[in-house]
Amino acid sequence: MLIEFDQVVVATPHSQALKGVSLTLSQRRIGVVGPNGAGKSTLVKLLNGLVLPTAGRVLVDGLDTRRDPKAVRRRVGFVFQNPENQIVYPIVREDLVFGLKPLGLEAAECARRVGARLDELGVAHLADRASHTLSGGECQLVALASVLVMEPALVVFDEPTTQLDLRNRNRVARAIAALDRPALVVSHDLELLHDFDRVLVVADGCIAADDAPGPALRWYREHCA
Amino acid sequence: MMIEPLYINRASPLHRLPAALKLALLVAAGAGLVAVHDARWLGLAAALAALLVWSTGVGAAALWRQLRGLLWVLAAIGVFTVAFQGWQAAPAVLLRIAALVGLALAVTLSTRSSDLIAVCERALRPLQRLGLLDAGKVALALALALRFVPEIWRHYQEIREAQAARGLARHPLALIVPLVVRTLKRAEQVAQAIDARS
Repeated sequence: MLIEFDQVVVATPHSQALKGVSLTLSQRRIGVVGPNGAGKSTLVKLLNGLVLPTAGRVLVDGLDTRRDPKAVRRRVGFVFQNPENQIVYPIVREDLVFGLKPLGLEAAECARRVGARLDELGVAHLADRASHTLSGGECQLVALASVLVMEPALVVFDEPTTQLDLRNRNRVARAIAALDRPALVVSHDLELLHDFDRVLVVADGCIAADDAPGPALRWYREHCA
Repeated sequence: MMIEPLYINRASPLHRLPAALKLALLVAAGAGLVAVHDARWLGLAAALAALLVWSTGVGAAALWRQLRGLLWVLAAIGVFTVAFQGWQAAPAVLLRIAALVGLALAVTLSTRSSDLIAVCERALRPLQRLGLLDAGKVALALALALRFVPEIWRHYQEIREAQAARGLARHPLALIVPLVVRTLKRAEQVAQAIDARS
C-alpha cells in the first residue's frame, strides 16, 4: 500500500485545514497525533476521498482520490471517531452484510465472511444484537468488523480509543495490533502508538514532525503540551 | 413508546412463514378490515390478532412497553368517535384499530427487520425499472429509520436531563432546537460513514 500526498491544500471559506502537505506513506503502522483542530481528521479523510484536496492531489496505490473515489474506498477502510454513526442497520449482522452489498456476493459467502470477522474480533455473540444497545467498546469492535469484512488493503482509525474505558481501550488496542494489514491511526492515546513504525505530528495544518514513535512523540510533548 | 426493535428470536409457526407472505396477508387484512363494519366480526379479528401476537412468544412486559403509548391514542380516538358519530360507532372503530395494530405487531414480532426491508426492496423493483425510484436507497432509508429512532429518543432524554440538571423547566422549543441540530449533525456524519463504505 503506497499513499502519496502531493502539495495538498484543504481550505474552507474561513480557514486552511491543511497548508500544502507532501508525504509518502508505506509503513504497516502509522500514527498521527496533534492538537485539537490541527487538521488530523482532515488529513486522514483525504485518504479515502471523504475530503477532497482544494489544491494538490492524493494517490492511493496510484489511484487519484478525486478521479477514482470508489476504487479508493474499496482499498481504504475507515473507522470513525464515533462508531455509533458508522453502524447504520438496526441489527449488527445486517450492518456487516450492508457493507458487502456492492460486492454482489452470494448470501452464503456474505454470512461466512460476516461470521468470520465477528469471531476474529471476539464479538460473534453480538451478531443478532440491536445496534443501539451496544456499549462503547462493543460498538467500536463492531464498527471495525464492518470495515474489515470488506477486506480493505488499509484501515484508517480516527481516534479509536477516545470514548472507551480501560478494558475496552485494551481490547481495541489488541485488535489494531493483531490486524493482518496496514493501519493508520489518529490518536490522543500516545501509548497506543509506541510500537508503530512511524508517527506524524500535525500542527496548524502542517506536518510538524515525522519520525519514529520515540522522537516524534517527544517532539509532540515538548512543543504541543 | 415504540422505540425498541420489535423482533423476538423464537421458532413459532408465524416466525417460519416467509416475510413476503406475512406482509401480503397484512396488507390484505388491512384492506379487508376497512370494509367490515360489524363490531362482532371486528371483535373476532381483534381476538385473532391477539392470539397471533401471543403465539409469537412475546413477554407481557415487552408487550406492555410497546402498547402503553397506543392506549392514549385509542382513548383519544374513542372520545372523538363518541363525540362526532355517537357511542354506537366507537366499538367498531376501536376494534378495527386494535385488530390492525395486533396483526402488524404479530408480523414485526416474528420477522427480522432485514427480511422486512428485503421484501420492501423486492416489491419496489418494478418501480425502479420504470425509473421512478431507487429501491436500494428506499431500503437503506427504511433501515436508517429503524436504526436511528431509538438514538433520537436517547438524544431527547439526554437533552432533557441536561436541562433538568441546570434547573430548567420542560420547554418544547428548548428541547426541539438542540434535538434537531444534533440530529442534523448526526445525519451528516452518518452520510459520510455510508459514503466511506460505498
